[in-house]
Amino acid sequence: MEAILLALAGLILAPLAGGLISGIDRKLTARFQGRVGPPIVQAFYDAAKLWGKETTVANPWITFCSWIYLVAAAASVVLFFLQSDLLFIFFVQAVGAVFLVIGALSVPSPYSQIGAQRELLQILAYEPLLILVIAGIYMTTGSFKIEAVFAYERPLLLELPLLFVVLGYALTIKLRKSPFDISGSHHAHQEIVRGVYTEYTGRNLALVEIAHWYETILILGFCALFWATNWIGIAILLLITYMLEIVVDNVSARLSWRWMLGSVWVGGLCLSAVNLAWVYFA
Amino acid sequence: MLDTLAFILIVLPFIAAVGCYFLRAEGLRTPIILATSALLVVAFLLLLGQAPVTYSPETLLGIPIRELIQVADFLLLFLILYFGVRHKSALIMGFAALQLGMLAYLEFGLSTHEYGHPTFYIDNLALVMVAIITLVGCAIAIHAVPYMKAHEEHLHLAKSRQPQFFFILILFLGAMNGLVLTNDISFFYFFWEITTVCSFLLIGHDRTEIATRNAVRALWMNSLGGVGLLAAILWFYASLGTLDIQQIIAASPTTAYMMIPLALLCFGAFTKAAQVPFQSWLLGAMVAPTPVSAMLHSSTMVKAGVYAVVRFAPAFADTYLGLAVAFCGAFTFLATAALAIGQSNGKKILAYSTISNLGLIVACAGIGTPAALTAAMLIIIFHAVSKGLLFLCVGTIEQKIGSRDIEDMRGIYTTMPVTAIISVLAVVTMILPPFGMLLGKWMAIESAASNIIVIIMLALGSALTVVYWARWAGGMMSMPFGDKVEKETQPVLTRWPLVGLIAGAVVVSVAAPWMYSSLVAPALGGAEPYAVTGGSFGNVAGTFAVVPFFIVIALAFVFAVMAMRKTPVTPAGMPYMSGIQTGDARGYIGPMNKRVDVQISNYYLGALFGEDKMTRWVNGGAIGLIALMFVMGGLL
Repeated sequence: MEAILLALAGLILAPLAGGLISGIDRKLTARFQGRVGPPIVQAFYDAAKLWGKETTVANPWITFCSWIYLVAAAASVVLFFLQSDLLFIFFVQAVGAVFLVIGALSVPSPYSQIGAQRELLQILAYEPLLILVIAGIYMTTGSFKIEAVFAYERPLLLELPLLFVVLGYALTIKLRKSPFDISGSHHAHQEIVRGVYTEYTGRNLALVEIAHWYETILILGFCALFWATNWIGIAILLLITYMLEIVVDNVSARLSWRWMLGSVWVGGLCLSAVNLAWVYFA
Repeated sequence: MLDTLAFILIVLPFIAAVGCYFLRAEGLRTPIILATSALLVVAFLLLLGQAPVTYSPETLLGIPIRELIQVADFLLLFLILYFGVRHKSALIMGFAALQLGMLAYLEFGLSTHEYGHPTFYIDNLALVMVAIITLVGCAIAIHAVPYMKAHEEHLHLAKSRQPQFFFILILFLGAMNGLVLTNDISFFYFFWEITTVCSFLLIGHDRTEIATRNAVRALWMNSLGGVGLLAAILWFYASLGTLDIQQIIAASPTTAYMMIPLALLCFGAFTKAAQVPFQSWLLGAMVAPTPVSAMLHSSTMVKAGVYAVVRFAPAFADTYLGLAVAFCGAFTFLATAALAIGQSNGKKILAYSTISNLGLIVACAGIGTPAALTAAMLIIIFHAVSKGLLFLCVGTIEQKIGSRDIEDMRGIYTTMPVTAIISVLAVVTMILPPFGMLLGKWMAIESAASNIIVIIMLALGSALTVVYWARWAGGMMSMPFGDKVEKETQPVLTRWPLVGLIAGAVVVSVAAPWMYSSLVAPALGGAEPYAVTGGSFGNVAGTFAVVPFFIVIALAFVFAVMAMRKTPVTPAGMPYMSGIQTGDARGYIGPMNKRVDVQISNYYLGALFGEDKMTRWVNGGAIGLIALMFVMGGLL
């Protein structure tokens, strides 16, 4: 019974929270830039409007891919709420990530194609980092299950500080926030238009947006694990992390994929290795 | 009962092969292949209930088996020597002569010719191997019937060479069954050498200059591996006085200096499994007709290599040698996944992917815990099905479009919708949950997670793998706007193996929990690394909900297909080109009112992942790691 309630909470509350966070993000960004910004619930208005639009697609398979993306993203969040296996959750979200790319590749628009190729590079950048973060959690708690993290008596941040930095890095890449809005930007004025999203239209775009809300919650959930000993700790950690995310998003310019991969392979892996070795020998 | 089953599994393919060779009419060959396949599958199913069991036949058709194998062993080595002379390869001649000398020393110098141990030992690991050899191997052999017919029509041969081709292909299956069922390491060596010779002949089948060159390379590399294996056998016999594989495994951990012959054996297995730096022979093998690649890559040959490592893994579990083997495997996994990124040749991508997955299996064997060995066995099964299928798909596509380049497969959905969907599904079974490969990868990563070096290599390799598969699948589903999807027709013997293998890939993935309990877990000698509840794998460290997630994905699949059917494709949905639409989605009206054709291509990142850039470094690193394996095995 408790499991069903938790699953429902994940299924229903997560996208609501994700949409609100997206609204707050836009509001804060606007204030940083001296604008008023849209209402906080704008994300829901957008999704509702997209949902009501007549859907026209260049390849029907893109509709298929949008739905699979949404289901996989939702499933990963539900599994997270059920305190399942972190690596399994990670693989489930990969289903969505891959189908987003396959959908973009199924239309011969050059913008969509380049966006998809770049999105693959983003996956190439964040996947190893996330796996290493999960490995670090395992080495500390002795389990891949989220319940073990909550049972662990100390905040993980104290044992895995460098891996938390790595996670933040991966988070920025996964959410395509500047400086890593390489495969598709929130703003349609970059050189590849909206990149990987270009060919997602109408209802499909609404699905992709909702899936993105789920993903935001999933990533924040990963962050929350680093101070899982009490709710205040979680709240403060998430607040600081996301604020930093928004600031970085606003002050940095987009980088090239070469820089992204290079920094991940050199910086990210070194930080991870040092932290893992520290846990291993401590 | 066992008599009959062992006869069907090992000897019948040899007889059927001879039948294919002498009864040259196609009307006879096809029934022989179909009947042999059916018998092999039935024999495997009947064998399922029997394991674990030992079996020691004395004679075969009245001839003493041991003497038969000993004589055949020498003949085989002379045959290799002959090939070396014919192709003027000093390496082949040298390795064959060396093996002849070592074998003579074993048989006439060392051996006491007293054998009390069982000749065959049929346990669940052997059954896993027999399963893929019979089920996947036969599907490929059947698919080869129409394929080779079309292949020869294309080549305009004066005299059909299909009898030779099917002779070797069917014989290969018998040799593989012998290899995995035997408990006598000298028999093991005999079947090992047969697979070496078979692959040499199959790779060189088309007799073009490049085919011959690549076949010669495959033969010398595998002969080098044969030297390693035979040296290991000599060492085992000299210090333990037995050829019994089970005894060798049991005695190794407590006997001094046993890690050196085990390292030699692993070295031999690395050559056969095309681990770096020996990957070039398997890459060269793609010049052969596609059924050959499918066979070598999925159910035979390379799987013999990983089988050897997994079989002997308990002998070096928890040793420095095991650690070094894990390093070698993980390095191969990473390096060849990176090399695959740089490729647009479909068969080459498949080849690198095979080597990469074999590396993962070797890494699991090196880690050696029950969970890791479970991962190794599951990956062997799932990889065989999916990879065999993918080769058949590429072969089928290639015969239609005349190219194996993945750029040319863009939009293949419009001309070959069934094959395209099967191919994309096959790709999905390789990289995404809830399919078996991912289950295996999950077990592998969870087993390796406390080894920092291995886990970093696995994490990187895993991400690289997603990239090269996803872009291929996406490309195949692309559809230039407005094109009509054609109806696809294929020969029955082409379509059935494809449909059968994709259905098999899905079914074995869903059935993974039960397959684990009944087939894989009994091979672990009493260990129970995972508990299966409600179709999910679980233990203290983690959980993987196979069946529940399958149900979710299956529902999503049906729903998504229904949603897709309802989506109208109207002119307003043209691909965005940032110019005036032309109506055909292959170009737009650009500046000066001129038509601009759109050209799209994947990123291959040649500057990072090009073969010319990477191969040297990869081979250097691999040679270093193999040297490390001998040092860690010998000194620590």
